Amino acid sequence: MDNNGFFEAMSDKVGETIEKKLRYYFVVDNENLLEVVAYIFKTMGCRLSTATATELYQGIEVLYHFSHDKSGTYYCPRIIMPDKKNPQMNSITPVVRGAEWIEREMAEMFGIDFVGHPRKEPLLTRNNLTVRKQPLRITRVS
Amino acid sequence: MSVNNVPVGPFHPLLEEAEYFNLVVDGETVVDIDMDIGWMHRGHEFISEQRTFTQSIYLVERICGICSTSHPLACVHAFEDVDNIEIPERAAYIRTLVGELERIHSHLLWFGLAGHFIGYDTVWMWAWKYREPILQMFEIISGNRNHYGMMRVGGVANDVDPNRIPEMMKILDMVEEKMNMIAKIANDDPVLRSRLKGVGVLTRQDAVDFCAVGPTARASDVPCDVRRDEPNDAYGMVDFEVAVLPNGDVYDKFVVRVLETIESAKICRQCLERLQTVKGPILNNVKEITAGEGIGRYEAPRGEVFHFVKTDGSNRPIRHKVRAPSYNNIPTYVASCKGIPIADALITLASVDPCYCCTERSLKVIDVNHDPFKVDLLQLSREKTQRIRREIHE
Repeated sequence: MDNNGFFEAMSDKVGETIEKKLRYYFVVDNENLLEVVAYIFKTMGCRLSTATATELYQGIEVLYHFSHDKSGTYYCPRIIMPDKKNPQMNSITPVVRGAEWIEREMAEMFGIDFVGHPRKEPLLTRNNLTVRKQPLRITRVS
Repeated sequence: MSVNNVPVGPFHPLLEEAEYFNLVVDGETVVDIDMDIGWMHRGHEFISEQRTFTQSIYLVERICGICSTSHPLACVHAFEDVDNIEIPERAAYIRTLVGELERIHSHLLWFGLAGHFIGYDTVWMWAWKYREPILQMFEIISGNRNHYGMMRVGGVANDVDPNRIPEMMKILDMVEEKMNMIAKIANDDPVLRSRLKGVGVLTRQDAVDFCAVGPTARASDVPCDVRRDEPNDAYGMVDFEVAVLPNGDVYDKFVVRVLETIESAKICRQCLERLQTVKGPILNNVKEITAGEGIGRYEAPRGEVFHFVKTDGSNRPIRHKVRAPSYNNIPTYVASCKGIPIADALITLASVDPCYCCTERSLKVIDVNHDPFKVDLLQLSREKTQRIRREIHE
């Protein structure tokens, strides 16, 4: 499958990759995240659909979903934070303005600290103080 | 600056959906806007993880009353993407038919609301009148006017009765004729053009930066459309054009929706014609979904609906992410509303097509020079149209 030159350009910054029909899921280290995202968003012209946070046994995972509309392909950088008590990663909002809301949502739902986010305040639970902290993690005991 | 009380909303018996905006105005000009969402957060993602795959489809159907087939369609696409499950050809045409009918009735709903907001109440009544037969088509196909329950992993739940296809073709003829009339109004009416041209401009760069989708993006010269970019179901087997316009104003968003509605009617006609000849099953028997990840998306009337699922081989997803198009489009107000007159704020907010009959009632307007005050945005908007009408006719 044609990957639009992405893996050649980012070969030293991309880890374990799962390739499916029109889908690439690949692990990226936190320190390389902004560079990889800038390449996907600005150089390749992809659009951020959204991002998904999940609590796994090995840590908190954040998976960004970038759509390359010209080819119908998804590029999904995956960041795994092993420290479940204090998950912290770089924010991509300074590069992709459209990531502001979803990172705020992941922060309040999973307790992730997005370093460099321009507006660190809850998105969905701002007006409901009775909501438990990190509500999407309450059934996933670490 | 302090934020004080809200006159009405975001929860109110008049409101069918809760949204809340703070408009900061300096005299007659909007200088800033902030959005506050979360009033309708119902925990669908969390609930879906406690349901089987089939139950999840019914659950996501209840996310939106207007897009009640876009969410289940994106959801089944995500489940099918985990194992690259194929669906029968007949099911593909039925899915596309239902999806496009939904686009027609949603856009007609929007035309009506937009007309009402700018003082064209006749457009409002006509558009909703022509929407009614589309809902009847849903009833013919699925038995329901809303929440059709059509989608299944591997196909669809109900077949289309071939004996009812001529009846549905006649309805499409009528809708096409009326849409051409509305297109002519958009093209010929000098008041409408003066009222909407150059209002609430979203530039191409802003649309790209905010990752806007759907008609909001396509009216700003961003040609993204899931139907063409990743043609699933029957979209690779029917002919249609993607409407893209360059200016990014409310007028272009209006015209994009008019053109899309006409194209949707053409797609529906092609699907109904093929359903007369394409025979076979409508559902593949999918016994299990293995462990993995799947992305599903569908071009809903407002833009790309996105679903992501993570499965572990059991009969339910361990993670189900849902993202509706308005989630990406509403932040574009920061770019499109700044600097516009307050009388244009209502139609600019409506041009993105959030569920809007509620939104204007839950606006809070703050004057940077005075205490918070209340204004009737609907009245301001309609008065501006009357003013333009008088100027043109004098």
